[in-house]
Amino acid sequence: MQFGIFTVGDVTPDPTTGRTPTEGERIKAMVAIAQKAEEIGLDVFATGEHHNPPFVPSSPTTMLGYVAARTESLILSTSTTLITTNDPVKIAEDYAMLQHLADGRVDLMMGRGNTGPVYPWFGQDIREGINLAIENYALLRRLWREDVVDWEGKFRTPLQGFTSTPRPLDGVPPFVWHGSIRSPEIAEQAAYYGDGFFHNNIFWPADHTKRMVEFYRKRYAHYGHGTPEQAIVGLGGQVFMRKNSQDAVREFRPYFDNAPVYGHGPSLEDFTEQTPLTVGSPQQVIEKTLSFREYAGDYQRQLFLMDHAGLPLKTVLEQLDLLGEEVVPVLREEFAKGRPAGVPEAPTHQSLLTAARKAGEKKAEGKKAEDKKEAVA
Amino acid sequence: MRLVVVSAGLSVPSSTRLLADRLAAAVQRQASAPVDVEVVEVRDLAVEIAHNLTNGFPGKKLAAAQDAVAGADGLIVVTPVFSASYSGLFKSFFDVLDKEALVGKPVLIAATGGTGRHSLVLEHALRPLFAYLRAVVVPTGVYAASEDWGAEGLAERIERAAQELAALMPLAVRREGPAVVPFADQLAALQ
Repeated sequence: MQFGIFTVGDVTPDPTTGRTPTEGERIKAMVAIAQKAEEIGLDVFATGEHHNPPFVPSSPTTMLGYVAARTESLILSTSTTLITTNDPVKIAEDYAMLQHLADGRVDLMMGRGNTGPVYPWFGQDIREGINLAIENYALLRRLWREDVVDWEGKFRTPLQGFTSTPRPLDGVPPFVWHGSIRSPEIAEQAAYYGDGFFHNNIFWPADHTKRMVEFYRKRYAHYGHGTPEQAIVGLGGQVFMRKNSQDAVREFRPYFDNAPVYGHGPSLEDFTEQTPLTVGSPQQVIEKTLSFREYAGDYQRQLFLMDHAGLPLKTVLEQLDLLGEEVVPVLREEFAKGRPAGVPEAPTHQSLLTAARKAGEKKAEGKKAEDKKEAVA
Repeated sequence: MRLVVVSAGLSVPSSTRLLADRLAAAVQRQASAPVDVEVVEVRDLAVEIAHNLTNGFPGKKLAAAQDAVAGADGLIVVTPVFSASYSGLFKSFFDVLDKEALVGKPVLIAATGGTGRHSLVLEHALRPLFAYLRAVVVPTGVYAASEDWGAEGLAERIERAAQELAALMPLAVRREGPAVVPFADQLAALQ
Protein backbone atom coordinates (compact mmCIF):
# COMPACT_ATOMS: atom_id res chain seq x y z
CA MET A 1 0.00 0.00 0.00
CA GLN A 2 1.34 3.40 -1.00
CA PHE A 3 0.66 6.62 0.89
CA GLY A 4 1.24 10.10 -0.36
CA ILE A 5 0.25 13.69 -0.87
CA PHE A 6 -1.68 15.19 -3.74
CA THR A 7 -1.90 18.91 -4.21
CA VAL A 8 -3.89 21.07 -6.60
CA GLY A 9 -1.64 24.11 -6.20
CA ASP A 10 -4.34 26.68 -5.50
CA VAL A 11 -3.40 30.14 -4.25
CA THR A 12 -6.02 30.77 -1.57
CA PRO A 13 -6.08 33.61 0.97
CA ASP A 14 -5.64 32.58 4.60
CA PRO A 15 -9.04 33.58 6.04
CA THR A 16 -7.62 34.10 9.53
CA THR A 17 -5.05 36.68 8.42
CA GLY A 18 -6.41 37.80 5.03
CA ARG A 19 -2.97 37.16 3.56
CA THR A 20 -2.60 35.62 0.10
CA PRO A 21 0.73 33.98 -0.71
CA THR A 22 2.47 35.10 -3.89
CA GLU A 23 2.72 32.63 -6.75
CA GLY A 24 6.40 32.24 -6.00
CA GLU A 25 5.72 31.47 -2.35
CA ARG A 26 3.09 28.92 -3.27
CA ILE A 27 5.33 27.17 -5.78
CA LYS A 28 8.17 26.97 -3.25
CA ALA A 29 5.68 25.78 -0.62
CA MET A 30 4.64 22.91 -2.89
CA VAL A 31 8.29 21.89 -3.26
CA ALA A 32 8.79 22.10 0.52
CA ILE A 33 5.72 19.89 0.99
CA ALA A 34 7.08 17.36 -1.50
CA GLN A 35 10.44 17.20 0.28
CA LYS A 36 8.68 16.88 3.61
CA ALA A 37 6.63 14.00 2.21
CA GLU A 38 9.82 12.03 1.64
CA GLU A 39 11.25 13.02 5.03
CA ILE A 40 8.22 11.66 6.92
CA GLY A 41 8.29 8.38 5.00
CA LEU A 42 5.52 8.84 2.46
CA ASP A 43 5.73 7.07 -0.90
CA VAL A 44 4.18 9.52 -3.37
CA PHE A 45 3.99 13.22 -4.19
CA ALA A 46 1.51 14.21 -6.90
CA THR A 47 1.00 17.68 -8.31
CA GLY A 48 -2.02 18.99 -10.17
CA GLU A 49 -1.95 20.73 -13.52
CA HIS A 50 -3.87 23.92 -14.19
CA HIS A 51 -3.67 26.71 -16.71
CA ASN A 52 -5.84 29.29 -14.99
CA PRO A 53 -5.59 31.38 -11.82
CA PRO A 54 -5.79 30.89 -8.86
CA PHE A 55 -3.71 27.78 -9.59
CA VAL A 56 0.06 27.80 -10.11
CA PRO A 57 1.17 24.37 -11.35
CA SER A 58 1.04 24.81 -15.13
CA SER A 59 4.31 22.95 -15.68
CA PRO A 60 4.34 19.72 -13.66
CA THR A 61 7.46 18.17 -15.17
CA THR A 62 9.50 21.28 -14.38
CA MET A 63 8.38 21.05 -10.77
CA LEU A 64 8.77 17.28 -10.54
CA GLY A 65 12.23 17.41 -12.14
CA TYR A 66 13.31 19.86 -9.45
CA VAL A 67 11.76 17.70 -6.73
CA ALA A 68 13.43 14.61 -8.23
CA ALA A 69 16.84 16.24 -7.74
CA ARG A 70 16.09 16.92 -4.09
CA THR A 71 14.65 13.53 -3.13
CA GLU A 72 15.85 9.93 -3.13
CA SER A 73 12.93 7.55 -2.94
CA LEU A 74 9.73 9.53 -3.42
CA ILE A 75 7.53 8.49 -6.38
CA LEU A 76 6.65 11.57 -8.43
CA SER A 77 3.19 11.68 -9.89
CA THR A 78 0.44 13.99 -11.10
CA SER A 79 -3.08 14.80 -10.00
CA THR A 80 -3.94 15.05 -12.82
CA THR A 81 -2.16 15.34 -16.17
CA LEU A 82 -4.54 16.78 -18.74
CA ILE A 83 -4.83 14.11 -21.40
CA THR A 84 -7.40 16.29 -23.16
CA THR A 85 -5.64 19.58 -23.89
CA ASN A 86 -1.99 18.50 -23.75
CA ASP A 87 -0.39 17.12 -26.86
CA PRO A 88 0.16 13.38 -26.25
CA VAL A 89 3.50 13.62 -28.06
CA LYS A 90 4.72 16.20 -25.56
CA ILE A 91 3.41 14.14 -22.62
CA ALA A 92 5.25 11.07 -23.94
CA GLU A 93 8.51 12.99 -24.21
CA ASP A 94 8.26 15.09 -21.05
CA TYR A 95 7.52 12.16 -18.76
CA ALA A 96 10.04 9.81 -20.39
CA MET A 97 12.63 12.55 -19.78
CA LEU A 98 11.50 12.85 -16.17
CA GLN A 99 11.66 9.08 -15.79
CA HIS A 100 15.35 9.09 -16.78
CA LEU A 101 16.21 12.00 -14.50
CA ALA A 102 14.31 10.47 -11.56
CA ASP A 103 15.67 6.93 -12.06
CA GLY A 104 12.20 5.58 -12.72
CA ARG A 105 10.45 7.18 -9.75
CA VAL A 106 7.59 8.40 -11.97
CA ASP A 107 4.01 7.54 -12.65
CA LEU A 108 1.08 9.57 -13.96
CA MET A 109 -2.54 10.17 -13.31
CA MET A 110 -4.58 11.10 -16.37
CA GLY A 111 -7.58 13.35 -16.10
CA ARG A 112 -9.80 15.68 -18.02
CA GLY A 113 -10.24 18.01 -15.04
CA ASN A 114 -10.27 21.46 -16.55
CA THR A 115 -12.98 24.05 -16.92
CA GLY A 116 -14.66 24.93 -20.21
CA PRO A 117 -12.57 27.96 -21.27
CA VAL A 118 -9.28 26.06 -20.92
CA TYR A 119 -10.09 23.81 -23.88
CA PRO A 120 -10.30 26.54 -26.55
CA TRP A 121 -7.14 28.16 -25.16
CA PHE A 122 -5.42 24.94 -26.23
CA GLY A 123 -7.36 24.57 -29.46
CA GLN A 124 -9.82 21.98 -28.18
CA ASP A 125 -13.51 21.66 -27.34
CA ILE A 126 -14.83 20.50 -23.96
CA ARG A 127 -17.69 18.64 -25.64
CA GLU A 128 -15.02 16.28 -27.01
CA GLY A 129 -13.53 15.75 -23.53
CA ILE A 130 -14.08 12.00 -23.34
CA ASN A 131 -13.09 11.42 -26.96
CA LEU A 132 -9.92 13.47 -26.48
CA ALA A 133 -9.06 11.41 -23.41
CA ILE A 134 -9.55 8.21 -25.37
CA GLU A 135 -7.71 9.13 -28.58
CA ASN A 136 -4.83 11.01 -26.96
CA TYR A 137 -4.15 8.26 -24.47
CA ALA A 138 -4.27 5.56 -27.14
CA LEU A 139 -1.59 7.51 -29.04
CA LEU A 140 0.47 8.12 -25.89
CA ARG A 141 0.59 4.38 -25.20
CA ARG A 142 1.86 3.67 -28.70
CA LEU A 143 4.51 6.40 -28.49
CA TRP A 144 5.88 4.79 -25.33
CA ARG A 145 5.69 1.23 -26.62
CA GLU A 146 6.60 1.44 -30.32
CA ASP A 147 9.91 2.88 -31.51
CA VAL A 148 8.52 4.20 -34.78
CA VAL A 149 4.91 5.33 -34.99
CA ASP A 150 2.71 6.02 -38.01
CA TRP A 151 -0.52 7.49 -36.75
CA GLU A 152 -3.59 9.31 -37.91
CA GLY A 153 -6.50 10.45 -35.76
CA LYS A 154 -9.24 12.95 -35.33
CA PHE A 155 -7.71 15.55 -33.04
CA ARG A 156 -4.03 15.85 -33.85
CA THR A 157 -1.89 16.30 -36.90
CA PRO A 158 -0.80 12.89 -38.32
CA LEU A 159 2.59 11.33 -37.55
CA GLN A 160 4.76 9.54 -40.10
CA GLY A 161 7.83 7.63 -38.96
CA PHE A 162 7.89 9.44 -35.64
CA THR A 163 10.05 8.35 -32.72
CA SER A 164 9.32 9.91 -29.36
CA THR A 165 12.53 10.65 -27.47
CA PRO A 166 13.93 9.78 -25.05
CA ARG A 167 12.58 6.24 -25.08
CA PRO A 168 11.08 5.22 -21.71
CA LEU A 169 13.68 4.20 -19.12
CA ASP A 170 14.62 0.49 -19.51
CA GLY A 171 11.92 0.27 -22.17
CA VAL A 172 9.28 0.42 -19.42
CA PRO A 173 6.69 3.22 -19.72
CA PRO A 174 5.50 4.92 -16.53
CA PHE A 175 2.51 3.26 -14.84
CA VAL A 176 -0.70 5.18 -15.50
CA TRP A 177 -3.68 5.83 -13.27
CA HIS A 178 -6.89 7.24 -14.70
CA GLY A 179 -8.55 9.73 -12.42
CA SER A 180 -12.28 10.14 -12.68
CA ILE A 181 -14.98 11.15 -10.28
CA ARG A 182 -18.16 10.43 -12.19
CA SER A 183 -17.46 9.27 -15.74
CA PRO A 184 -17.91 5.52 -16.23
CA GLU A 185 -16.19 5.92 -19.63
CA ILE A 186 -12.90 6.70 -17.89
CA ALA A 187 -13.25 3.82 -15.41
CA GLU A 188 -13.90 1.68 -18.48
CA GLN A 189 -10.75 3.02 -20.16
CA ALA A 190 -8.64 2.17 -17.09
CA ALA A 191 -10.17 -1.32 -16.99
CA TYR A 192 -9.61 -1.91 -20.71
CA TYR A 193 -5.87 -1.28 -20.49
CA GLY A 194 -5.43 -2.84 -17.05
CA ASP A 195 -4.25 0.55 -15.76
CA GLY A 196 -4.95 1.96 -12.30
CA PHE A 197 -8.14 3.80 -11.41
CA PHE A 198 -7.99 6.69 -8.98
CA HIS A 199 -11.28 7.88 -7.54
CA ASN A 200 -10.97 11.31 -6.03
CA ASN A 201 -13.65 10.81 -3.42
CA ILE A 202 -12.93 13.93 -1.37
CA PHE A 203 -16.22 15.66 -2.14
CA TRP A 204 -18.30 12.53 -2.50
CA PRO A 205 -20.31 10.27 -0.24
CA ALA A 206 -19.13 6.68 0.18
CA ASP A 207 -21.89 5.04 -1.84
CA HIS A 208 -20.94 7.00 -4.97
CA THR A 209 -17.27 6.03 -4.64
CA LYS A 210 -18.30 2.44 -4.04
CA ARG A 211 -20.37 2.35 -7.24
CA MET A 212 -17.54 3.76 -9.37
CA VAL A 213 -14.84 1.50 -7.90
CA GLU A 214 -17.02 -1.61 -8.20
CA PHE A 215 -17.74 -0.73 -11.82
CA TYR A 216 -14.00 -0.42 -12.57
CA ARG A 217 -13.16 -3.66 -10.76
CA LYS A 218 -15.87 -5.57 -12.63
CA ARG A 219 -14.71 -4.26 -16.02
CA TYR A 220 -11.02 -4.91 -15.15
CA ALA A 221 -11.90 -8.57 -14.69
CA HIS A 222 -14.08 -8.51 -17.83
CA TYR A 223 -11.02 -7.51 -19.89
CA GLY A 224 -9.03 -10.43 -18.47
CA HIS A 225 -6.43 -8.58 -16.40
CA GLY A 226 -7.21 -10.56 -13.23
CA THR A 227 -9.91 -10.85 -10.63
CA PRO A 228 -11.90 -7.77 -9.56
CA GLU A 229 -9.92 -7.83 -6.29
CA GLN A 230 -6.65 -7.54 -8.23
CA ALA A 231 -7.58 -4.28 -9.95
CA ILE A 232 -5.41 -1.29 -9.02
CA VAL A 233 -7.38 1.29 -7.04
CA GLY A 234 -6.37 4.62 -5.54
CA LEU A 235 -8.38 6.95 -3.33
CA GLY A 236 -8.07 10.51 -2.08
CA GLY A 237 -8.75 11.94 1.32
CA GLN A 238 -8.29 15.18 3.19
CA VAL A 239 -7.62 15.71 6.86
CA PHE A 240 -6.82 18.28 9.48
CA MET A 241 -5.39 17.04 12.74
CA ARG A 242 -4.40 18.15 16.18
CA LYS A 243 -3.64 15.85 19.12
CA ASN A 244 -6.87 17.00 20.71
CA SER A 245 -9.81 16.76 18.31
CA GLN A 246 -11.54 19.86 19.68
CA ASP A 247 -8.43 21.92 18.88
CA ALA A 248 -8.48 20.59 15.33
CA VAL A 249 -12.11 21.60 14.83
CA ARG A 250 -11.59 25.06 16.36
CA GLU A 251 -8.49 25.78 14.28
CA PHE A 252 -9.79 24.41 10.98
CA ARG A 253 -13.34 25.82 11.07
CA PRO A 254 -12.53 29.31 9.70
CA TYR A 255 -10.56 27.70 6.86
CA PHE A 256 -13.42 25.33 6.07
CA ASP A 257 -16.08 28.05 6.29
CA ASN A 258 -14.28 30.29 3.80
CA ALA A 259 -12.52 27.88 1.45
CA PRO A 260 -13.58 28.21 -2.19
CA VAL A 261 -14.25 24.48 -2.35
CA TYR A 262 -16.03 24.00 0.97
CA GLY A 263 -17.27 27.32 2.27
CA HIS A 264 -20.78 28.71 2.44
CA GLY A 265 -22.35 25.29 1.94
CA PRO A 266 -22.98 22.51 4.46
CA SER A 267 -21.52 22.76 7.95
CA LEU A 268 -18.13 21.27 8.80
CA GLU A 269 -19.99 18.61 10.78
CA ASP A 270 -22.28 17.61 7.87
CA PHE A 271 -19.39 17.60 5.45
CA THR A 272 -17.18 15.40 7.61
CA GLU A 273 -20.05 12.99 8.11
CA GLN A 274 -20.70 12.58 4.40
CA THR A 275 -17.24 12.74 2.81
CA PRO A 276 -13.67 11.59 3.58
CA LEU A 277 -12.85 14.95 5.22
CA THR A 278 -11.66 14.24 8.76
CA VAL A 279 -11.04 17.02 11.25
CA GLY A 280 -9.90 15.64 14.55
CA SER A 281 -7.25 13.57 16.28
CA PRO A 282 -4.79 11.28 14.48
CA GLN A 283 -6.79 8.35 15.85
CA GLN A 284 -9.94 9.64 14.14
CA VAL A 285 -8.04 10.03 10.88
CA ILE A 286 -6.80 6.44 11.18
CA GLU A 287 -10.29 5.10 11.81
CA LYS A 288 -11.87 7.02 8.95
CA THR A 289 -9.15 6.10 6.45
CA LEU A 290 -9.35 2.42 7.39
CA SER A 291 -13.09 2.55 6.77
CA PHE A 292 -12.49 3.33 3.06
CA ARG A 293 -11.56 -0.33 2.64
CA GLU A 294 -15.09 -1.34 3.64
CA TYR A 295 -16.51 0.15 0.44
CA ALA A 296 -13.55 0.24 -1.96
CA GLY A 297 -12.01 -3.14 -1.10
CA ASP A 298 -8.28 -3.65 -0.48
CA TYR A 299 -6.70 -0.89 -2.50
CA GLN A 300 -3.21 0.21 -3.51
CA ARG A 301 -2.75 3.93 -3.09
CA GLN A 302 -4.03 6.49 -0.60
CA LEU A 303 -3.29 10.14 -1.35
CA PHE A 304 -4.04 12.92 1.13
CA LEU A 305 -4.80 16.51 0.25
CA MET A 306 -3.12 18.51 3.02
CA ASP A 307 -2.33 21.98 1.63
CA HIS A 308 -5.88 23.16 1.09
CA ALA A 309 -8.27 25.94 2.10
CA GLY A 310 -5.51 28.56 2.48
CA LEU A 311 -3.64 26.86 5.34
CA PRO A 312 -0.21 28.44 5.79
CA LEU A 313 2.85 26.33 4.93
CA LYS A 314 3.95 26.13 8.56
CA THR A 315 0.64 24.52 9.54
CA VAL A 316 0.75 22.12 6.57
CA LEU A 317 4.24 20.97 7.59
CA GLU A 318 3.02 20.39 11.16
CA GLN A 319 0.16 18.35 9.71
CA LEU A 320 2.64 16.28 7.72
CA ASP A 321 4.65 15.57 10.86
CA LEU A 322 1.54 14.18 12.54
CA LEU A 323 0.69 12.21 9.41
CA GLY A 324 4.17 10.67 9.23
CA GLU A 325 4.61 9.98 12.93
CA GLU A 326 1.20 8.92 14.11
CA VAL A 327 -1.05 8.07 11.19
CA VAL A 328 0.73 6.40 8.27
CA PRO A 329 2.72 3.82 10.29
CA VAL A 330 -0.51 2.59 11.88
CA LEU A 331 -2.32 2.63 8.53
CA ARG A 332 0.46 0.58 6.91
CA GLU A 333 0.18 -2.03 9.62
CA GLU A 334 -3.62 -2.13 9.74
CA PHE A 335 -4.12 -2.18 5.96
CA ALA A 336 -1.65 -5.09 5.74
CA LYS A 337 -3.79 -7.11 8.16
CA GLY A 338 -6.28 -9.35 6.43
CA ARG A 339 -5.09 -8.27 2.98
CA PRO A 340 -5.69 -11.28 0.72
CA ALA A 341 -2.52 -12.79 -0.80
CA GLY A 342 -3.69 -12.22 -4.38
CA VAL A 343 -4.09 -8.45 -4.01
CA PRO A 344 -1.07 -6.84 -5.70
CA GLU A 345 0.86 -3.76 -4.59
CA ALA A 346 0.75 -0.63 -6.74
CA PRO A 347 3.10 -1.12 -9.71
CA THR A 348 6.46 0.68 -9.57
CA HIS A 349 9.19 1.03 -12.18
CA GLN A 350 11.06 -1.84 -10.52
CA SER A 351 8.08 -4.19 -10.42
CA LEU A 352 7.17 -3.39 -14.03
CA LEU A 353 10.76 -3.94 -15.13
CA THR A 354 10.92 -7.30 -13.35
CA ALA A 355 7.61 -8.32 -14.94
CA ALA A 356 8.82 -7.21 -18.39
CA ARG A 357 12.07 -9.19 -18.04
CA LYS A 358 10.17 -12.28 -16.94
CA ALA A 359 7.83 -11.94 -19.88
CA GLY A 360 10.88 -11.48 -22.15
CA GLU A 361 12.54 -14.64 -20.78
CA LYS A 362 9.35 -16.61 -21.27
CA LYS A 363 9.14 -15.41 -24.84
CA ALA A 364 12.78 -16.33 -25.42
CA GLU A 365 12.22 -19.78 -23.90
CA GLY A 366 9.15 -20.25 -26.07
CA LYS A 367 11.20 -19.31 -29.10
CA LYS A 368 14.01 -21.69 -28.13
CA ALA A 369 11.53 -24.53 -27.70
CA GLU A 370 10.08 -23.74 -31.10
CA ASP A 371 13.53 -23.63 -32.71
CA LYS A 372 14.29 -27.03 -31.18
CA LYS A 373 11.06 -28.44 -32.56
CA GLU A 374 11.95 -27.11 -35.96
CA ALA A 375 15.45 -28.57 -35.72
CA VAL A 376 14.03 -31.98 -34.81
CA ALA A 377 11.57 -31.79 -37.65
CA MET B 1 -44.93 -0.49 -10.87
CA ARG B 2 -43.32 2.47 -9.18
CA LEU B 3 -44.80 5.95 -9.42
CA VAL B 4 -42.91 8.90 -7.95
CA VAL B 5 -44.65 12.20 -7.34
CA VAL B 6 -42.52 15.34 -7.13
CA SER B 7 -44.49 18.09 -5.43
CA ALA B 8 -42.99 21.55 -5.06
CA GLY B 9 -45.70 23.24 -2.97
CA LEU B 10 -44.39 25.41 -0.17
CA SER B 11 -47.28 25.89 2.23
CA VAL B 12 -48.95 23.32 4.46
CA PRO B 13 -51.59 22.36 3.47
CA SER B 14 -50.66 22.94 -0.14
CA SER B 15 -52.95 23.01 -3.17
CA THR B 16 -49.98 21.74 -5.21
CA ARG B 17 -49.81 18.64 -3.02
CA LEU B 18 -53.57 18.29 -3.18
CA LEU B 19 -53.41 18.21 -6.99
CA ALA B 20 -50.45 15.81 -6.84
CA ASP B 21 -52.36 13.40 -4.62
CA ARG B 22 -55.44 13.47 -6.84
CA LEU B 23 -53.30 12.73 -9.90
CA ALA B 24 -51.51 9.87 -8.13
CA ALA B 25 -54.78 8.32 -7.00
CA ALA B 26 -56.12 8.58 -10.55
CA VAL B 27 -53.05 6.81 -11.95
CA GLN B 28 -53.49 4.02 -9.41
CA ARG B 29 -57.10 3.62 -10.55
CA GLN B 30 -56.23 3.63 -14.24
CA ALA B 31 -53.14 1.40 -14.20
CA SER B 32 -53.33 -2.21 -15.34
CA ALA B 33 -50.99 -3.38 -12.54
CA PRO B 34 -50.66 -2.32 -8.88
CA VAL B 35 -48.82 1.01 -8.48
CA ASP B 36 -46.66 1.94 -5.47
CA VAL B 37 -46.64 5.68 -4.92
CA GLU B 38 -43.77 7.60 -3.35
CA VAL B 39 -44.09 11.34 -2.82
CA VAL B 40 -41.05 13.64 -2.87
CA GLU B 41 -41.83 16.96 -1.16
CA VAL B 42 -39.21 19.29 -2.62
CA ARG B 43 -39.74 21.71 0.29
CA ASP B 44 -38.20 19.18 2.70
CA LEU B 45 -35.09 19.02 0.51
CA ALA B 46 -34.60 22.77 0.08
CA VAL B 47 -31.37 23.03 2.09
CA GLU B 48 -29.84 19.88 0.63
CA ILE B 49 -30.66 21.09 -2.89
CA ALA B 50 -28.87 24.39 -2.20
CA HIS B 51 -25.88 22.48 -0.80
CA ASN B 52 -25.85 20.20 -3.83
CA LEU B 53 -25.67 23.26 -6.08
CA THR B 54 -22.66 24.72 -4.26
CA ASN B 55 -20.97 21.41 -3.47
CA GLY B 56 -21.64 19.03 -6.28
CA PHE B 57 -23.05 16.13 -4.28
CA PRO B 58 -26.40 15.36 -2.65
CA GLY B 59 -27.03 14.87 1.05
CA LYS B 60 -28.67 11.66 2.25
CA LYS B 61 -32.34 12.66 1.91
CA LEU B 62 -31.80 14.24 -1.50
CA ALA B 63 -29.80 11.22 -2.72
CA ALA B 64 -32.67 8.94 -1.68
CA ALA B 65 -35.14 11.15 -3.58
CA GLN B 66 -32.89 11.14 -6.66
CA ASP B 67 -32.61 7.34 -6.55
CA ALA B 68 -36.40 7.07 -6.24
CA VAL B 69 -36.90 9.30 -9.30
CA ALA B 70 -34.28 7.43 -11.36
CA GLY B 71 -35.85 4.07 -10.47
CA ALA B 72 -39.47 5.10 -11.16
CA ASP B 73 -41.66 3.76 -13.97
CA GLY B 74 -43.53 7.04 -14.10
CA LEU B 75 -43.36 10.55 -12.66
CA ILE B 76 -45.93 13.12 -11.73
CA VAL B 77 -44.39 16.57 -11.29
CA VAL B 78 -46.37 19.45 -9.84
CA THR B 79 -45.17 22.98 -9.22
CA PRO B 80 -46.81 26.21 -8.14
CA VAL B 81 -46.45 29.05 -10.63
CA PHE B 82 -43.92 31.67 -9.56
CA SER B 83 -43.36 34.74 -11.76
CA ALA B 84 -44.91 33.12 -14.82
CA SER B 85 -42.89 29.88 -14.55
CA TYR B 86 -42.11 26.89 -12.34
CA SER B 87 -40.71 27.76 -8.90
CA GLY B 88 -36.94 28.07 -8.64
CA LEU B 89 -36.85 25.29 -6.08
CA PHE B 90 -38.71 22.95 -8.45
CA LYS B 91 -36.21 23.72 -11.22
CA SER B 92 -33.26 23.31 -8.86
CA PHE B 93 -34.41 19.81 -7.91
CA PHE B 94 -34.10 18.82 -11.58
CA ASP B 95 -30.89 20.82 -12.01
CA VAL B 96 -29.12 18.58 -9.47
CA LEU B 97 -30.63 15.36 -10.80
CA ASP B 98 -28.37 13.17 -12.94
CA LYS B 99 -28.90 14.45 -16.47
CA GLU B 100 -29.69 10.94 -17.74
CA ALA B 101 -32.13 10.07 -14.94
CA LEU B 102 -35.31 10.92 -16.87
CA VAL B 103 -34.37 9.56 -20.27
CA GLY B 104 -37.30 7.59 -21.67
CA LYS B 105 -39.38 8.03 -18.53
CA PRO B 106 -43.08 8.95 -18.81
CA VAL B 107 -43.89 12.20 -17.00
CA LEU B 108 -47.19 13.88 -16.24
CA ILE B 109 -46.74 17.65 -15.86
CA ALA B 110 -49.02 19.71 -13.64
CA ALA B 111 -49.11 23.13 -12.01
CA THR B 112 -51.20 25.25 -9.69
CA GLY B 113 -51.68 29.01 -9.79
CA GLY B 114 -53.83 31.85 -8.58
CA THR B 115 -55.34 32.57 -11.97
CA GLY B 116 -56.26 30.67 -15.11
CA ARG B 117 -54.22 33.16 -17.16
CA HIS B 118 -51.06 31.23 -16.20
CA SER B 119 -52.31 27.91 -17.57
CA LEU B 120 -49.91 27.92 -20.54
CA VAL B 121 -47.01 27.65 -18.09
CA LEU B 122 -47.29 23.90 -18.67
CA GLU B 123 -46.58 24.35 -22.36
CA HIS B 124 -44.03 27.14 -22.36
CA ALA B 125 -42.06 26.18 -19.23
CA LEU B 126 -42.60 22.62 -18.02
CA ARG B 127 -42.89 20.79 -21.34
CA PRO B 128 -39.62 22.20 -22.77
CA LEU B 129 -37.79 21.42 -19.52
CA PHE B 130 -38.81 17.76 -19.59
CA ALA B 131 -38.28 17.53 -23.34
CA TYR B 132 -34.72 18.72 -22.73
CA LEU B 133 -34.30 15.99 -20.10
CA ARG B 134 -35.50 13.52 -22.78
CA ALA B 135 -38.50 12.39 -20.76
CA VAL B 136 -41.71 11.26 -22.46
CA VAL B 137 -44.22 13.94 -21.49
CA VAL B 138 -47.86 12.85 -21.72
CA PRO B 139 -50.07 14.99 -24.00
CA THR B 140 -52.43 16.22 -21.29
CA GLY B 141 -51.00 18.58 -18.69
CA VAL B 142 -53.11 19.52 -15.69
CA TYR B 143 -53.28 23.11 -14.56
CA ALA B 144 -55.42 24.05 -11.58
CA ALA B 145 -56.16 27.72 -10.84
CA SER B 146 -57.88 28.69 -7.59
CA GLU B 147 -61.25 28.85 -9.34
CA ASP B 148 -60.85 25.33 -10.80
CA TRP B 149 -61.23 23.69 -7.41
CA GLY B 150 -64.91 24.65 -7.39
CA ALA B 151 -65.56 24.23 -11.09
CA GLU B 152 -66.32 21.44 -13.49
CA GLY B 153 -63.65 20.04 -15.78
CA LEU B 154 -60.69 19.51 -13.44
CA ALA B 155 -61.67 15.96 -12.52
CA GLU B 156 -61.96 14.98 -16.19
CA ARG B 157 -58.57 16.47 -17.03
CA ILE B 158 -57.01 14.58 -14.11
CA GLU B 159 -58.48 11.28 -15.30
CA ARG B 160 -57.43 11.87 -18.91
CA ALA B 161 -53.84 12.75 -17.95
CA ALA B 162 -53.65 9.83 -15.51
CA GLN B 163 -54.85 7.42 -18.17
CA GLU B 164 -52.14 8.63 -20.54
CA LEU B 165 -49.43 8.20 -17.91
CA ALA B 166 -50.69 4.78 -16.78
CA ALA B 167 -50.62 3.56 -20.39
CA LEU B 168 -46.95 4.56 -20.80
CA MET B 169 -45.56 3.37 -17.45
CA PRO B 170 -45.00 -0.27 -18.50
CA LEU B 171 -42.72 1.07 -21.26
CA ALA B 172 -40.50 3.19 -19.00
CA VAL B 173 -36.71 3.09 -19.25
CA ARG B 174 -35.21 2.55 -15.80
CA ARG B 175 -31.60 3.15 -14.93
CA GLU B 176 -29.66 1.18 -12.31
CA GLY B 177 -25.93 1.91 -11.95
CA PRO B 178 -23.51 3.23 -14.59
CA ALA B 179 -24.15 2.10 -18.14
CA VAL B 180 -21.32 0.23 -19.84
CA VAL B 181 -20.10 1.63 -23.15
CA PRO B 182 -17.61 -1.03 -24.31
CA PHE B 183 -14.22 0.61 -24.76
CA ALA B 184 -13.57 -0.93 -28.16
CA ASP B 185 -16.72 0.79 -29.45
CA GLN B 186 -15.58 4.14 -28.07
CA LEU B 187 -12.18 3.76 -29.70
CA ALA B 188 -13.65 2.57 -32.99
CA ALA B 189 -16.02 5.55 -33.10
CA LEU B 190 -12.97 7.82 -33.37
CA GLN B 191 -11.51 6.08 -36.42
